[in-house]
Amino acid sequence: MGCGLGKSEPLLKKFHKAISAALLIQRWYRQHVARLEMRRRCTWNIFQSIEYAGEQDQIKLYNYFGFLMDHFTPASSERNLISHIFRKNEICLDTEWERYFCYKSIEVTKSYTGPHLTFPMTFCGVSKLVEAFKHKEQLHARYVLKLLGETWRLLRTFPNISHVIACHTKPITICGDLHGHLEDLLLIFYKNGLPSSDKPYVFNGDFVDRGKNSLEILLTLFGFLLVYPNDVHLNRGNHEDHIVNLRYGFTKEVLGKYRVHGKKILKLLQMIFSWLPLATVIDNKVLIVHGGISDTTDLDKIARVDRQKYASALRPPKMKVHGCMTKMNENREREACGQVEGRRRVCSLTYHSSAPDHRHDLPRRSLNNTPVCSKLDLSVDEKLNSRCRLSGFDQARCEVKKSDSYLESKTTETDLDEWKQIVDMLWSDPMPQNGCIPNEVRGGGCYWGPDVTEEVLRRNNLQLLIRSHECKQDGYEFCHNRRVITIFSASNYYEVGSNRGAFIRMGPDLVPHFIQYQASTTCRELTLRQSVGWTERSALQALREQLFVHRSDLISAFQEFDPNNKGMISVTHWASTTERVLNLGLPWRVLRPQLVSSTQHGMMDYQQWIKELSITEPKLEISDNSILDTMYKNHSNLETIFRIIDTDHSGLISFKEFHQTWELLRSHLKTEISAKAIADLAQSIDFNKDGSIDINEFLEAFRLVDISAHN
Amino acid sequence: MAEVAAAPAEFAPAEIEEFKESFGLFDRVGDSQVGYNQVADIMRALGMNPTNKAVVAILGNPSADDMANKRVNFEAFLPMLKQVDAMPKGTYDDYVEGLRVFDKEGNGTVMGAELRIVLSTLGEKMSEVEIDSLMTGQEDENGSVHYEAFVKHIMSV
Repeated sequence: MGCGLGKSEPLLKKFHKAISAALLIQRWYRQHVARLEMRRRCTWNIFQSIEYAGEQDQIKLYNYFGFLMDHFTPASSERNLISHIFRKNEICLDTEWERYFCYKSIEVTKSYTGPHLTFPMTFCGVSKLVEAFKHKEQLHARYVLKLLGETWRLLRTFPNISHVIACHTKPITICGDLHGHLEDLLLIFYKNGLPSSDKPYVFNGDFVDRGKNSLEILLTLFGFLLVYPNDVHLNRGNHEDHIVNLRYGFTKEVLGKYRVHGKKILKLLQMIFSWLPLATVIDNKVLIVHGGISDTTDLDKIARVDRQKYASALRPPKMKVHGCMTKMNENREREACGQVEGRRRVCSLTYHSSAPDHRHDLPRRSLNNTPVCSKLDLSVDEKLNSRCRLSGFDQARCEVKKSDSYLESKTTETDLDEWKQIVDMLWSDPMPQNGCIPNEVRGGGCYWGPDVTEEVLRRNNLQLLIRSHECKQDGYEFCHNRRVITIFSASNYYEVGSNRGAFIRMGPDLVPHFIQYQASTTCRELTLRQSVGWTERSALQALREQLFVHRSDLISAFQEFDPNNKGMISVTHWASTTERVLNLGLPWRVLRPQLVSSTQHGMMDYQQWIKELSITEPKLEISDNSILDTMYKNHSNLETIFRIIDTDHSGLISFKEFHQTWELLRSHLKTEISAKAIADLAQSIDFNKDGSIDINEFLEAFRLVDISAHN
Repeated sequence: MAEVAAAPAEFAPAEIEEFKESFGLFDRVGDSQVGYNQVADIMRALGMNPTNKAVVAILGNPSADDMANKRVNFEAFLPMLKQVDAMPKGTYDDYVEGLRVFDKEGNGTVMGAELRIVLSTLGEKMSEVEIDSLMTGQEDENGSVHYEAFVKHIMSV
């Protein structure tokens, strides 16, 4: 730029100015992107923490039931309320099953406008089915039962591990979690083609729950399975489990869509889920499982298990085993340690002081050998205690009983071992550090490290592990030196715009090729900044709800730092206290500007803040705030319990059952709510004044609905 | 646009706690550290806007290998952050002045196309994708950018 010094000086100056200007803009831009990225990570952490906390919550509830089962006498009414979920399917003979699930008596009337299926299924038939679902039609119960029956018969002939050969002309397509997102499945079929003998597919579990078309996805996948049994491979996920379905929406979806035959459909699905294969192996080199592995994963053992024994992966087959996941109950009692090991979520550098030490105390396994009774009865209900004593199951006895059961035949140990293999396969997550520790965040399975990956792959002569189970922003992610791939196929999982979905195409070279997508046109048109903002708003709203339901606990905790009752607390104390109460492992100081409207000199008015959080108006006249809060906080638990109790799926429960539900929940949560308050509550929610409570109406009354103006 | 370094100020304890939290958000490994190649971005996330060159200098001019593999903990990071904090960050006027350099007609606009070329060839070059993302919706029908509005927009994140 210029040659002579004198004339070119102004030019040189201009050049320097231009560079400075460019640098300034570039600096600004990079700062903008970095800040967006941080907001995005915060948002992600919020969604993921709340999701995993919910999973943990459910396992705690289920463990609690397990405890009841083991310690209450058979005569107790509480036990009877829930015992049926642990009962093995009594009808064993095939002929009896056939009779129970007989669809033949179900007539298809002329008024039915949905698709008609003929059997055996054909490609034409299943394509018609997909078209019908695209047009939001519903399949008649008769066809549903017939299709499911055929599926069940077919699945029983499959081994635990499917083996596939990769072929030049037929690359294999591998899909991850779908979670009821029919639009994503349709998008995959659109981009990739329908399954056929030329287009083999592996679907890696979690077809159901959360999304609203879980059943349509199942029927579609089963339809293709029936037509191409050698080319469509389904792996079981942790959500292919009737207990999990109670909480996460699938049970509700089926009962809502099929009021008359829903119960039968659910029962048949329960059996089908237990018959789903556990893993798929391509060319003896690529292992595909839903969750992952642990340091004890043994494919030979997995190949030999009697997989249909495990209707729900949450509970081992033998009832009197105390270990199982009661370890999780222990963790609940460990309040002193502060938050759960922060590996998975944002590692809170500011709070956990004891976590590293705590880690060394954790036994390697989350199962056997935990002396349960001495820890579990910390503050168990008086009633529970007396029942324990009455039925002879006091502490000492518990210990003795436990050792007795371990003196039993080896089958118990083998069963436990098998069960652990299955749980690990369906629930585990990878972690960056070496080792293998219990997965406390979810409540089941392990966290396994890169060393375990190397060892398990080497031991089984494999080169790659493909798994799902965790939502990833770009639909897929490598880890462990690219030896592990997470593939997730439900786009917009947390919220519109939160993430893309992806699937893998793989030829005989076993090199994965990724195709990403995002359903819904609205989010594609948003800029990155808009999409981050949208998802962020949604996450913050979910977080405000969590704060709201914990408000009584929060206020008591804040008051510990406000001895003179001024209503003010420092931001530092606010952050550490909120974390202590909510236990979500979130970066509260970073989030503060978006959660707290104003601070002065590092102090905030917490009473005012809590007031501002009020995001719903109670739909009923209930003066007792603590009941309200308990309802909101335990919405999912209540729903789960109701659905368990409502054995005939009528959607109604009696006052007595309601009272018993409350007793169950109360002793699990160790809350103090008077019997009178419960009785009053029952009266007030008997909306039809006919002596029974409609579950859906009740749950609707206590669902948090945001009334604040919020775009 | 004189570059005057102010004396490094002390951060308040509450600020430091907040920085620590943000730092943790970028730790993808779980060892309470972040990679050298993440340091610039974390500083930007915390409200600074150093050039990459400045960060490399503060890190002690590490090799490419070090940049890719070495990690740093929060205690070592904080003094680096202080140094960067002392650097001038750029005010509204600075940005407008900077863009005015390209305002050939002195009418408050710059040609989008020219801006693109400058950003991709001068200074710490931006990629086409980055430039697109920056310029989306900023050019009018003539391909001009009204830079005062542009600066107001970009500063409002």
